[in-house]
Amino acid sequence: MDKTAAKEQLTAAATAHGEPAALVARRQAAFDHFAASRMPKMARFNFSDWDLFAKQPALTFTESTATPDLPEIKEEAIRLVQVGQTTVDVHLPKTWADQGVKLMDLFAALDQFPDLVADQLMAIVKPDENKLTAYHLAYLNSGVFLYVPKGVQVDQPVEVDLVQDSTVADREFNAHLLIVTEPGSSVSVLQHTTTLGTAANRASLMVEIDARRGSHVNFSSLDELGDQTLTYFKRRANIGRDAKVEWAVGLMNGGDTVGDMDSELTGEGGEGDSKLIAVTTGDQHVGINNRVTHHGQHTTGNINQRGVLLGKSHLVFNGIGEIIHGAHDANAEQQNRVLMMSPDCRGDANPILLIDENDVIAGHAASVGPVNPVQMNYLMSRGIPRPVAEHMVIRGFLSSVIAAIPAKRVREELIAILERKLTDGNL
Amino acid sequence: MATLEVKDLHVAVTDDETKKQKEILTGVNLEMHSGEIHAIMGPNGTGKSTLSQTIMGQPGYEVTQGDILLDGTSILDMPVDERARRGLFLAMQYPAEIQGVTNAEFLRAAINARRAKDDQISVMDFIKKLDKNLKLLDMSESMTERYLNEGFSGGEKKRNEILQLLMIEPTFAILDEIDSGLDIDALKVVAKGVNSMRGDNFGSLIITHYQRLLNYIVPDTVHVMMGGRIVKTGGPDLAKQLEKEGYAGLRDELGLDIKLVDDEN
Ligand SMILES: Nc1ncnc2c1ncn2[C@@H]1O[C@H](COP(=O)(O)OP(=O)(O)OP(=O)(O)O)[C@@H](O)[C@H]1O
Ligand SMILES: [Mg+2]
Repeated sequence: MDKTAAKEQLTAAATAHGEPAALVARRQAAFDHFAASRMPKMARFNFSDWDLFAKQPALTFTESTATPDLPEIKEEAIRLVQVGQTTVDVHLPKTWADQGVKLMDLFAALDQFPDLVADQLMAIVKPDENKLTAYHLAYLNSGVFLYVPKGVQVDQPVEVDLVQDSTVADREFNAHLLIVTEPGSSVSVLQHTTTLGTAANRASLMVEIDARRGSHVNFSSLDELGDQTLTYFKRRANIGRDAKVEWAVGLMNGGDTVGDMDSELTGEGGEGDSKLIAVTTGDQHVGINNRVTHHGQHTTGNINQRGVLLGKSHLVFNGIGEIIHGAHDANAEQQNRVLMMSPDCRGDANPILLIDENDVIAGHAASVGPVNPVQMNYLMSRGIPRPVAEHMVIRGFLSSVIAAIPAKRVREELIAILERKLTDGNL
Repeated sequence: MATLEVKDLHVAVTDDETKKQKEILTGVNLEMHSGEIHAIMGPNGTGKSTLSQTIMGQPGYEVTQGDILLDGTSILDMPVDERARRGLFLAMQYPAEIQGVTNAEFLRAAINARRAKDDQISVMDFIKKLDKNLKLLDMSESMTERYLNEGFSGGEKKRNEILQLLMIEPTFAILDEIDSGLDIDALKVVAKGVNSMRGDNFGSLIITHYQRLLNYIVPDTVHVMMGGRIVKTGGPDLAKQLEKEGYAGLRDELGLDIKLVDDEN
């Protein structure tokens, strides 16, 4: 990489994009960190040779002309759709806008509400954490901002559709969803990530949630990025006093993916519930760190990860429960389970407990193996053919996470994708 | 009329630890037709469950001699799901628990597995049939939305096996100790369920240790099994005789050289 040229390009592009000087400066600092630091590491999963950024990276903003198939939208629905770097649809009914709820393009938000956004952007995930977080801020080119004011209970799910534009090659998709929920508010967010087109591109996707005192966020994500997309994602919630964040992630990406889920229980009495399922096929490689860190007293953390492996795929689940010294009466539970549906796949379910306090409760369970033959035999003894029985047992195995997604439509969509993957994987 | 025939059946199992083969069934002969209820009684460890598992095609039982025929066709080479679709049903002693699969979903899949792709049961018909059978078995509707057998009590599991029987409507049902662990009311309910199936198109092979069940489900034929084969066949009175005299009496009467589990050395 020609560092000088890259930094000049970055500065020029950000300035041309009309960004405030402070952001341009943060990007430059992030670039320096990116250029100087090494790739992060993940237990039992090596992705050091993945091309998660270009040899000569460039900050680009391209207007997308591709149009995705969007489902009809109801009058009362709340939705934002982005294709590549273009926000194509924002639907926020007046009742919510009047109460101060904001759902908008991140750069527009930076422009219109700098006080709410500027300091908050990448305050929870720090750019200097590692090479990839630094890269993300330096080359961030799309994003969404969701803000729920104090005490507002948003009772309609907020749908965020992020469509990667891979109709052409060399499009970077560095997208950031920033969510701030003020004290006592609540919201549920349905993120859907997809890819349009079949060009080989990368994605760097981040979600930051600042769940302030007593607020409640239910975040589900249906990730369905294309086979040709190489993905790095990081999703982190800062969970304040008595706040609660529930994650339910259906990781159905077609391409290689490495990702972190982080719940930081910083306030007393906070609760983090992190559920994730993944189905891997072909020669896909997927590695996930799912971490809950207990800083505050009386905090509750729960991790439930379930994976199904087909073909020659490779899936690693690390569940990390960390209790920091002083987090009295913390409760950290986790389970990581993978079903190996073919003799050639490679799976790993790896619980990691890091506990630096005495009066806490911590538990973990892990399993790696084929479908339970006793269950299979029972279903088949009632006439159900093996493939149908296998699908049923797999759906059952994943059900605790699927059931946690609050929208029926998304649950059904997830099950449809699952069925398609199983069928394509010759099950 | 359908026919299930067991001919000179010899079955061996392999001990997991010693890897030694052990012959359990030593030549079972049995013929039954739809419309009939047969009962098998016999001392512990004589091979009754082995016979039922082998007919159903459960893994782990090796047929070393003889045959099992359904309507004249050997089923020995068929996997368990195919035998089920051809009309065989085995009520399990220890039904599996399956998280995340509801009882209703499972029942529908089982019914549809026996029907053509373009003739799957409609939601309405399914619900009607389910409601009728739930009532018959005195089961709460909520049982069907629960995950399959998960957290069911022993008795609830047995009842659920009978619910499956009523929903799937097999040609031949093998009920292996369906009465064990049931309280008296549940026993009556289960018997009511089985009796409701009685008719020209249904036959059942009932394995029990207790004559009491046979007061509720009166069999046409009673077989006594000892030493891995059927040693005597008779009418319902045979069960009553056994209840009085025990197996040792019958063994001695028949002059058999068989060791019973609770014989003194
Ligand atoms: N998989 C197996 N491995 C080893 N031995 C087996 C296996 N299955 C059955 N057996 C043995 O075969 C014999 C017959 O068992 P089976 O369960 O068929 O008897 P049963 O007549 O049903 O007895 P009960 O009345 O106690 O239910 C027993 O000695 C049993 O230990
Ligand atoms: Mg038995």
